[in-house]
Amino acid sequence: MEGGSILETIGHEIIGVMSPVSICMLLVVLLVYTVYNPSSAAATTTIRTAANLVYLESPSDSTAQKLEGAILNAVVFVVIITLVTFLLVLLYYYRFTNFLIYYTRFSVFMIFSVMGSSILISIIQRFDIPVDAVTFSVMLFNFTVLGTISVFSNGIPIIVKQSNLVVLGIIVAAWFSRLPEWTTWVVLVALALYDLAAVLAPGGPLKLLVELASSRNEELPALVYESRPNVGRNSGARDSSLGLLVAAGLGMSGDNNSGSVELQQLWRDGNTDNRTETRERDHFAIAVGENERTNGVEIEEVREDEGETAPLMGDGDLTERWSRRDNVDNSSDGNRVPQGNEREAMEMEEMNARGIKLGMGDFIFYSVLVGRAAMYDLMTVYACYLAIISGLGCTLILLAVCRHALPALPISIALGVIFYFLTRLLMEPFLVGASTNLMMF
Amino acid sequence: MTVAAGIGYALLALGPSLSLFTAVISHKPFLILTLLSSTLVWLMSLIALSAVWRGFIPFKTAAWWPYALLILTSVASQEALRFFLWRLYKRMEELLDAFADRVSKPRLLITDKMQIALAGGMGHGVAHAVFFCISLLTPAFGPATYYVEKCSRIPFFLVSAMIALAFVTIHTFSMVIAFSGYSEGNRTDQYFAPVVHLAAGVLTLINLGSGGCIIGIPLLYGMAMLTLLHCGKLVWRRLTENRRQGNLY
Repeated sequence: MEGGSILETIGHEIIGVMSPVSICMLLVVLLVYTVYNPSSAAATTTIRTAANLVYLESPSDSTAQKLEGAILNAVVFVVIITLVTFLLVLLYYYRFTNFLIYYTRFSVFMIFSVMGSSILISIIQRFDIPVDAVTFSVMLFNFTVLGTISVFSNGIPIIVKQSNLVVLGIIVAAWFSRLPEWTTWVVLVALALYDLAAVLAPGGPLKLLVELASSRNEELPALVYESRPNVGRNSGARDSSLGLLVAAGLGMSGDNNSGSVELQQLWRDGNTDNRTETRERDHFAIAVGENERTNGVEIEEVREDEGETAPLMGDGDLTERWSRRDNVDNSSDGNRVPQGNEREAMEMEEMNARGIKLGMGDFIFYSVLVGRAAMYDLMTVYACYLAIISGLGCTLILLAVCRHALPALPISIALGVIFYFLTRLLMEPFLVGASTNLMMF
Repeated sequence: MTVAAGIGYALLALGPSLSLFTAVISHKPFLILTLLSSTLVWLMSLIALSAVWRGFIPFKTAAWWPYALLILTSVASQEALRFFLWRLYKRMEELLDAFADRVSKPRLLITDKMQIALAGGMGHGVAHAVFFCISLLTPAFGPATYYVEKCSRIPFFLVSAMIALAFVTIHTFSMVIAFSGYSEGNRTDQYFAPVVHLAAGVLTLINLGSGGCIIGIPLLYGMAMLTLLHCGKLVWRRLTENRRQGNLY
């Protein structure tokens, strides 16, 4: 790359995912803090969603009742999600892809129009914004149509797509943060566990979905936030930097790595040499099975690892090539298509078009956690934000090590919940006691 | 109006850090990650401390010695944390250099090292300001303000924002001083950070006395200025030395 220190090149992909998540959380916190403050009227009406079908919490119930009801709610919610995700897998398996795409578009339309308008109306009421009904509905309609179109279409600038997905996340998260307190916590934990099982366990629905999609070499028909690397030849080298750094950290240096350096230089120079080269390259994809309230999340990493690669056309802006993995013995026959005895053994992939992908479910449930924390105090918000972001960072680093789809919820949610209760129970009395005496250190 | 006041307090405490963040840190992803992780580490140390002290707070007596003990333990633990961060940074630096060699980029320059130290220090400072000042600002956005009995002339939020600003400055720049001291083996610089930190903590003890904040805060700002000056001199010296040697590493 062109000059500059390595500080500017490491971590682009992490920041590319962290910043939209941070923006989403910030806006949800502001929304919850100003509009759904417990003292305001909007918070008093509890809503009934798929997440509290069984039990509607009321403040007068005993703790045992609340806990029992919350666990029941969470179990029902997770069961519904599991069923819907399996249905999704089934539909996808029998190639009802168009149905899925239109269904997702429809649900996005409903989210933007119904839930979005309800939230907008409460903002208008809260701040006494003078706006008439006609203007409001025309603007809402425009916004909704843009949002609906921008999902699953390639003609839209990526920034519009990304910001629409963030808005979508905010709307759903603001809606979910109106759930009763106990139910929210139990549902979050249950979802994290579900996510862990669905992505990692053999036969887990999201794992099946991702494998199916990657074997068909298709985009997932689901709502996924993509952080595309900067378009251009540099992006490949850039998004491999994390994996290289992690590899260096684990002491995986060896002959292969020197080979990888060689290739990167050659590649960067636009060398069109057609020789077989070894390089290391990371390729992240995070996918999600999402429908209106179903959010499973995973991070998929497709990685060509130190295998022999031979560009089909030895051109710098070539977008597809064959890669082979773990087949070093067979590699002597070089440029031929390898016999695919493993699923991953042969993968054709686009080089520059994909960045890290993060499911909308992550956005939503991270923000739900922070939004719930915002109803207690600002201090818990900061603690939870830090915990979630560091959990996300850990997940991304694990992704560079593990090289397959990873659930993004468990680490973050676990850290977030732990930090919330530690802050609330331990730190707050301590800090308030110290700083109201103007004691600081 | 009160919203403006609340935002004003927040900017008073964090404004300089914000401008430093946008100017130096925001366009280098690695520095942002350093900042975030250092903030998280500081938060964890604070939680551990509060777990230890949870049983004793609030103090029943009006005496000052429990507070002195509290500050002593906190400063000691945070300085131990600084040393731990240094060890971590040392390993990180080797990794980064190895990585730079492999992608055939220049190794870390001395300015890069200082920026990493700055980001680490700012993580501590921002965490301090956020948890001691910003998180207590919630009532400041409401229709009233709050005065502490011992410092009855200035609103509590203003005082805490001012103290937080001094501490942000001290934390941010003493990390640069400490890291440079460790790497050069310079004893004075190594002990500078703990001493200044402890002194600043002890100076807030003056606030316990009635009207003490009138004296305590200017003294605290004296410590902050001292840190700034020392850091400026140190950075200037190292940069000129390096330039003279023609050696940027």
